[in-house]
Amino acid sequence: QRKMSEPELASSLIKKVFSHYVKMPVARDAFRIVKKCSERYFRQLSNDLEAYTQHAGRKTVEVADLEVLMRRQGLVTDKMPLHVLIERHLPLEYRKLLIPVAVSGNKIIP
Amino acid sequence: MAMMMKRTAPRSTLRKIIKKHKPQLRLAANVDLLIHLNFLLFLHRLAEEARTNAFENRSKIIKPEHAIVAAKVVLKKSRG
Repeated sequence: QRKMSEPELASSLIKKVFSHYVKMPVARDAFRIVKKCSERYFRQLSNDLEAYTQHAGRKTVEVADLEVLMRRQGLVTDKMPLHVLIERHLPLEYRKLLIPVAVSGNKIIP
Repeated sequence: MAMMMKRTAPRSTLRKIIKKHKPQLRLAANVDLLIHLNFLLFLHRLAEEARTNAFENRSKIIKPEHAIVAAKVVLKKSRG
């Protein structure tokens, strides 16, 4: 049986996104730190999401849990609603999945 | 608009990562996209923080020590 590699995000993706935001040169070793830090972030995130859903008596993480989390992280505030963050940071095809859009024929998607 | 780079979310990888940490936890539809968003914002914060550190140290590039200091601050802010 083939051994599955540990699931992790591609270094190239982390590198690309981080360089895009940082807007200055980054030493190779600094990228390694960013990657490590991302792993820690996902571990922390998993723990938090589990705590939130258990607290709500659910086994499934809902969109609302993420919104509460982002509020706690200070990312979502009264002046910065979640849908604005979605519009700013996610490409259109994902935005359409997350934000209900009124379309002609009086239908709401999703 | 902040973002003009073409980027797709690694949706199945994100789900796998959460599954690795919490095998029992299920994600509702499109929650992975919000996790991706949260991750982008996390990297955004980390980048800003690292850049500030580099400036303070009069460095023209981000060195590992700038990233380490930034990581501590930002991981703390990311706690739910």
